[in-house]
Amino acid sequence: MTELNQIDLRSLVAGHKRTWDGFVLAASPLINAVVRRSLGAWRLSEDDIMDAAQDVFVRLCTNDFRLLKTYDPARAGLSTWLAVVARSAAVDFARRRRQPTSPIDDIPEAALAVEDHYVEKLKIPEGLLTERQTLILKCLYDEERDVAEVAQLLKVDAQTVRSTHHKALLRLREHFRERTP
Amino acid sequence: MTAERTPTSDKDLWQSLSLDRNPSRAAVSDLDFAAWLEGRLSEPAAARIDSAVTHDPELRAAALALADILGKPLPSSPPSIVTRAQALVGFPAERSLGSKPGMFGMWLAVLLPSFGGDFALRRGVMAGLAVIIAAIGFVMGGGLGQSFAEQKYASAESTVAVPRSFGTDTSHQLNDLFTDSI
Repeated sequence: MTELNQIDLRSLVAGHKRTWDGFVLAASPLINAVVRRSLGAWRLSEDDIMDAAQDVFVRLCTNDFRLLKTYDPARAGLSTWLAVVARSAAVDFARRRRQPTSPIDDIPEAALAVEDHYVEKLKIPEGLLTERQTLILKCLYDEERDVAEVAQLLKVDAQTVRSTHHKALLRLREHFRERTP
Repeated sequence: MTAERTPTSDKDLWQSLSLDRNPSRAAVSDLDFAAWLEGRLSEPAAARIDSAVTHDPELRAAALALADILGKPLPSSPPSIVTRAQALVGFPAERSLGSKPGMFGMWLAVLLPSFGGDFALRRGVMAGLAVIIAAIGFVMGGGLGQSFAEQKYASAESTVAVPRSFGTDTSHQLNDLFTDSI
């Protein structure tokens, strides 16, 4: 079976049937996985999932492969780009169908918490934390992800995530001068 | 900013704080997002996507889901996805294959004007010509009217009593002999 990185992109966007067939064979496991994951919260039927996957391929080849022609191999791998495109297409497809629903167990505790509107949150001033530090704290605490997941997301090792997290908290504590009651 | 409200645990500290800005959602292109997911961007370019992912919960969920999918072996897809998607491309190839004419088609194609590659128009003209040729052949071979008249005459003849021939058919003679005697 042809791998995605072996696809002749010129031949693909020229509309050659054999290349397209090879591309579909190589890309369908990824597109299937992304579409299923993206539509998990929408409780759609199996037929809808098949249609959403088909919608991704339609997007890729429609208007004389206009979307595929925007792909630049110098900037990102084909599989990663396809995964991003498939997710966008799947979410658009689902929005046309119905509202998403999530099992309550899948929602982070922080999102379910009833916020006390009378307690004003302290603002983190702009520039105190870097964007990367803020993102790591968001992923660890708001999304309740573990260090390994965040490391996988940011393509860094787990130790880098721990160290960035530690430095960010030091800055926050220093800024707000925590005092134990 | 009260000391009593300042929590001690890292998570509580974070959750007692909020970011001091409400940024407008910066549009992130699919290609930039893919490059960010692969860790290919320069630090300033990555910081822009970091900011977008930090402030857009939907984009953050997408990033976490895609990083997870791309880091794992993928299950095979249902065959129907492949079959349907493969059928999306290929009609031009089939058309060029199907438009190769046979000997008669080539002869006819020489007679036909060019329609700029319009497949349907060309086929329509060829079908029209075929009907005309068939009609001419039918008229030259006797014509519909004459054929119909002959058929009508033949059916009228069959309803008139045909005089029986005498003495030529043994079976008839025997039949006559027996029926007369009764």
